[in-house]
Formats: sequence, structure tokens, C-alpha cells
Amino acid sequence: MFLLHFQRKGETMDKFVVNIIHRPEMVPEYAEKVTGHGQAEDIGRKALLTESLDIFKTQQECAHKNGLKTTIEMTYASLFNDEAVALAKEHHEKYGDEIGLTLLGLPCKEFREKYKTKDFCIWMFSMEDKKAIVQDVFGKFYECFGFYPESTGSYYMDAELINYIKEKYPSVKCAVATCWEEGPKAYHTCNNSWYTFMDGGPWAPWIPSRQNTHAPAANEAEDSGIVAIPHLSRDLIACYDGNGSNFGTHPQNVLRGMIYDTDTWEYPYLYNLIDQYRYQARFNNGYSYNMMFVGPGWMNKMGRWEAPYELLLKSYEDGCAYYGRLKKEGCLIDMTMSEFADYYRAKKSYTEPECALWRDILYGSKKQVFWYCDPYMRAGVNMDQGGAIVDLRPYVAKLNWPVGIGTPHIQDASYPFLIQEKYRAGYFTHYAGEGTVRSAKICHNGEEVDLCLCRTKAHFSEEAISDENEADAAGLKNAAAESGEKKTAKNRILTLDPVDIEFSDLTVKLQTVMTFTEGTGSIRIDRKVLEITSEVPSSKSAADITINEYMVGCYGTTEYTEDMSSLTLIAERGANASAGEGTDAEKDAGCNGGTEGKKIEIPYEYRCREASLAGADRVTCIVPPIETVVSMTCEGRDKAGYVKEGYAFSPMFTIGYTGKLCEKEVFTTWLNLEKAN
Amino acid sequence: MAQSGKGKLNYRCPSCFMRDLDLDMFYDKEKEEYYCIRCQYRGSEADVLEKNQMARFRYGAMMRRFEEKDFEDFSED
Repeated sequence: MFLLHFQRKGETMDKFVVNIIHRPEMVPEYAEKVTGHGQAEDIGRKALLTESLDIFKTQQECAHKNGLKTTIEMTYASLFNDEAVALAKEHHEKYGDEIGLTLLGLPCKEFREKYKTKDFCIWMFSMEDKKAIVQDVFGKFYECFGFYPESTGSYYMDAELINYIKEKYPSVKCAVATCWEEGPKAYHTCNNSWYTFMDGGPWAPWIPSRQNTHAPAANEAEDSGIVAIPHLSRDLIACYDGNGSNFGTHPQNVLRGMIYDTDTWEYPYLYNLIDQYRYQARFNNGYSYNMMFVGPGWMNKMGRWEAPYELLLKSYEDGCAYYGRLKKEGCLIDMTMSEFADYYRAKKSYTEPECALWRDILYGSKKQVFWYCDPYMRAGVNMDQGGAIVDLRPYVAKLNWPVGIGTPHIQDASYPFLIQEKYRAGYFTHYAGEGTVRSAKICHNGEEVDLCLCRTKAHFSEEAISDENEADAAGLKNAAAESGEKKTAKNRILTLDPVDIEFSDLTVKLQTVMTFTEGTGSIRIDRKVLEITSEVPSSKSAADITINEYMVGCYGTTEYTEDMSSLTLIAERGANASAGEGTDAEKDAGCNGGTEGKKIEIPYEYRCREASLAGADRVTCIVPPIETVVSMTCEGRDKAGYVKEGYAFSPMFTIGYTGKLCEKEVFTTWLNLEKAN
Repeated sequence: MAQSGKGKLNYRCPSCFMRDLDLDMFYDKEKEEYYCIRCQYRGSEADVLEKNQMARFRYGAMMRRFEEKDFEDFSED
């Protein structure tokens, strides 16, 4: 009863592509610790090796019997196992499976004896060790198969590692390169012991830049040469808030989250997750994507947590059966990783964003979010908070962020945020301070309403960019264009349902429209007053509505604050703005009035200073530690730009604009991201 | 008192699970109870199962099958 699914009728068939990946992991993560409880560690135990291979065989069988091809990602350990190598060759011949090479599954007797370490995450090794391991693993693969792989991966692949692999082994064209929002939340879930910090990346395939894996390439010069895919397709609401490993297209993750009926062993959530990913085709030019990659440790014969082996097996069989059924009905195309890389490069331009309009399919709320990802930013918009931007990553900086031993970020591979509503409060409800969010306040007669408290829904649309200059700015030189396909840059538009803002003497009906212009690193936000109603006619005619568009930001990768001392806040007006810090009076009381060029700078010193500038052309915060400049610009009546410094108990900055609105009037702001010098 | 071990299944602490922590519990065969090494939870297998059901309270749509029209139409919620 739970296998009902949809198919769009009378329209060009959307393409839903699935990568199913298996790895013969001879010493599966978890398995040694779980099955070996009460025994001294021995990763060479024969029982462990036999069981691991059996699980791999079962997984392969589940896919093949449902008519699905797989990518077999050989592990280092499996390259020492003749049976695993023979199986891979056989399945390549018989089913068309691709033989790839993963950098997961390094632990085995041979690895430990050679490298004298228990480290197993490739991105955490020193660069010297990364190179040695890659040469070793790729060399061993060549010995076994007589060719180099086209696909590789790990939970995370740092840019330096990808660049090295691509240089040494140019055949590689696809890699599993991040796990969406696996970071501090996963660390906490494992009782502060799981060091996979890789928040802030794309949730769907992308072409990584040479500078930073998470940030997509904006052009050929930045192209790392591979197509990256995420490790699993994850719930874009649940994973952002909770443990990522409970809410993905990994059937046993759904069991880990206890998202199933204990009597019937049914889990409609898994199919809802797959179907909502399919639904994303309408926001991405008719294409959507899923990836399923279950390590053998998750199908342990001993069971995994509360789930007995039978349930683990059933969930994997059901997952494959659902994909298989979609394929039989013409709703799914199964590809190997390298096939997908070719498809993706032909389909996507560099600047084409990935968009996701996503609703809650688990908790029973009506919450809806929108995610946007392109080479310049990743942004999360929360319709339950009136369309507030609740997550913002400035990919435009293409931050060089080496990870691993010997670098400043040994484990922390996350792309830094400017806004993160979970780690830095979001719309603020606590005692003192502020949280990171980009929203607006509507004010009238001393009353103030933040749009974060106006729950609404959004609708997606696209429009071609008519302005040629804008189109040029969108950087249409891209892989698809080079292949002869013409691409048109577009605006992706999010139109929110109007909300009513009730003041004591009148009600303002206001609509928000957000426009993401391809290739610009800017988000335009229009607030339009559709209607003002009041039982007192004089109140309506004299309505004095003030809008305060603001962004509270900071920077970081975790819940804990960073040093803000190097930041600078600027409000400026006029082409010939004179530089200066401004007088104390200007900073404390604001600098309102006048039209001459003016520039006020506040170096961040935690002194809670503020400055305001009438008619400001731009308000800016320069964030040197993440090489980012974030600014706001504005078109609106009586606009005044302002900046706020923050203080030790509230280590944030605020940039914003105030202005006036009346019925039918629009107030427009742009949030702009640039790379700092 | 002998050392504790794992039970027949590897139950997690339901109390910690509800705060997004996966904590394997250990089994005290003398007291016939599972206990958490991080928090103060302890209980029989029946109690663990009962609390696991309780932990599902937040999954209000756990058994709902969404159709295509539901992804953007909230009127039937």
C-alpha cells in the first residue's frame, strides 16, 4: 500500500537518475566494534571478512534482481581479496556494473601495517600521506583490473586531494565528495566522537571548483575536472535540524531514525523521500537525482541497534525494489557513476543553480523550505519564517581551506557560513542578544512585527534574463555551451503567499518575492504592500509604515563563536564617498541627513556601535577570515542604510536598510556576496 | 557483580535518542535491565520498547504516504 507513486502525465518525461553504489568493505565500519564486542580487536578475523563479502553479494543481488546496475566501489582491503576482485569483474561483464575505487574502507591489516595508523578518513591525512595512499590504492587497483578507475570517492574529498587525483589519474571523472550537512550534528549524535565535519555543501551533484570542493566551479578555469555526487540524498528539512544519518536514501538510516512501524515494518517515509527528490525535477530543468550507498556494516547479521538483520535486509530489498519498479515504469534511469558524470556535464551549465522546494514529509507540519546552490552561494529560505534566509554560504569566495594533518583545519572541512539558524540562534527568542538571519521588520506607530513570525508558502518560477549585460554577467561560457547547446541564463523566482501583519489600528497585506539571478551572487528581495485595511479610514490614509530590512550575520563552521575583531562595517553614499571612521556622534546617534558623499567605517571591536546613513548606496561587512564581502543595496522611499557592531555577549554584525512603504508600494533590497581582496 | 555486556539486540538509550544522541546501552543480566552510560536511564527491554515508541511522537507524518500533489498543496494537511 505504500508503493503508490506519481508520474506526470502529458508532459515531457522528467529524468530521474539514480546511482546505486556498493562497496565490498572487508572490515566494515561498525561491524568490528559491534560483532566483536567482548573480544580484543582483530580486523583480520576470518568471520568478519566472510560476512562482509556475503553482505556485498546480497546488496548486489538486491540491485540486479530489480534490473538495476551498480557502481562497485572497490575498497583498498577488497583489492587484496581475490573473490571480491573476481566478483567485480563478473558483475561488470554480466550486468554492466562499473568498477570504481573508493577511498573509504582503507582499514585492513595491510593498510595498518604499511601506514602505522588507525586513521581511515582520506581527507584527514597529511597531503604527503594522501598522495602516498592514492598512489598505493590506485596502483593496486590497476594491478587487479588492468585499468585506472573513472569513479572514486569518500565521505569527503578535499580540493587538494581531488586536484591531485585528477592530475595523476585523468580517467577519474566522478567522485562521491561530501555528505550533506554532516557536521557538528553528527558529531553530537555519536556522543562527540564522529569527526566528519563537512557542513555547508551541495545536496545534489555539482562540479567542484579547484579551490574548494563544496563551492561549485563558476567556469572552466575553476573546474576540478570531476563531477561530484553527494553521499546519499538527504532530507532537506530533517537533516538540517537533526542527525543527518537518520534521514537519507539509505534504508538503514531510516531504521536508525526509528522511522518505521514496529509491527508491520513499513516505512513510507523512505518512499516519500525518494518521491520528493523526483519532484525536484520541476525546479531543475526536468532533472532530478538520487544516490543510494549502503556500507556492508549496516547489514550486519547481528542486527544494528534495535533492528534485527531481517529488518535490515528487508529495508534494503524494499529500497531496491522501489527504484526497480520506477525503472520498469519508465520513471527512472539507473546509471553508473561515470555514466552520470557524462550525462551531468552535457546537461548542466556551470552557472545553472540547483534548486529545491522542499516540504516537511516526516513531522506532520506544513513547513516548507527552499534551497539554492550555485557557484556563488548556497542559501536556505524558510517559509515558516516568512521567507527568511536562514542559511548562507558565500561560495563566491572560493575559500581555500586545506584540511588534514598539517593544515589549520585537521578535521573541519565545512564551508563557513554567514548565517546558520541552528548554530547561531536564527530569529531570536532568548534573553539577550541576536541570532543570524536575513529578514525584515514592519513597523507602525511604535509597533513592530518581524516577518519571521509570518508563516507562509512559496511558489517557484523561472524567467529568462532579458538584460544582455545581466546575461553576460551570468557567465554563459560553460560545458554545455561549449558542446554546442545554447543556454539562457535565468532568474529563479520564489513568490511567497501574502501575509497579513496586524497592527492595533490597521492591517498590512504584504508579499515577498525573492529573485536569484543566475551568475551574480545576489539575491533580490521585493516587499510589496498589496493592501492596507483599517476600520478607521483616517488610519489607513495616514498610515506610516516603516520597513527595516536586515541581515544579522557572523562567520564560522560550528556552534561556537569566532573572533570578529578583523571585521569592518561600512555604510557609504555617493561615488566620491570620503573614507573615514566617522565621528563618535555619527556612530552613536546615527548619521542621518545630507546627500553628499559619505563613508562611515566601524572596525569591529565589540563596542556595540551603530551608524546610519540616509540615502546610503551600500552597507557592507568585510569578513576577512572567510575572504568575503557581504553587502546590501536598496531601492526604496526614504531609504537609510545602517550597520551595527555587536558586543561580546552577542558577537554578530547587522547590516540593513530602513524606509517607508504605502499601499501598492515596493521596497527592494539586494543581498550581495563578493570575494574580498 | 560481573561486567555488563550487550543485549540480544543493541538497544540505544531512548532518553538520549530523544535528544539526538545515539548511545548504545549495556545489559546488566543480574538486574535484567539495560542502562545508559551517559545519562541515568535504565529499564527492562519492555520499557525500552515502550520509550522507543514514545520517541516517535515527533514523527507526526511517519506513516503518511505523500502523493505528487501534496508536495506543494498544503490544503489537505
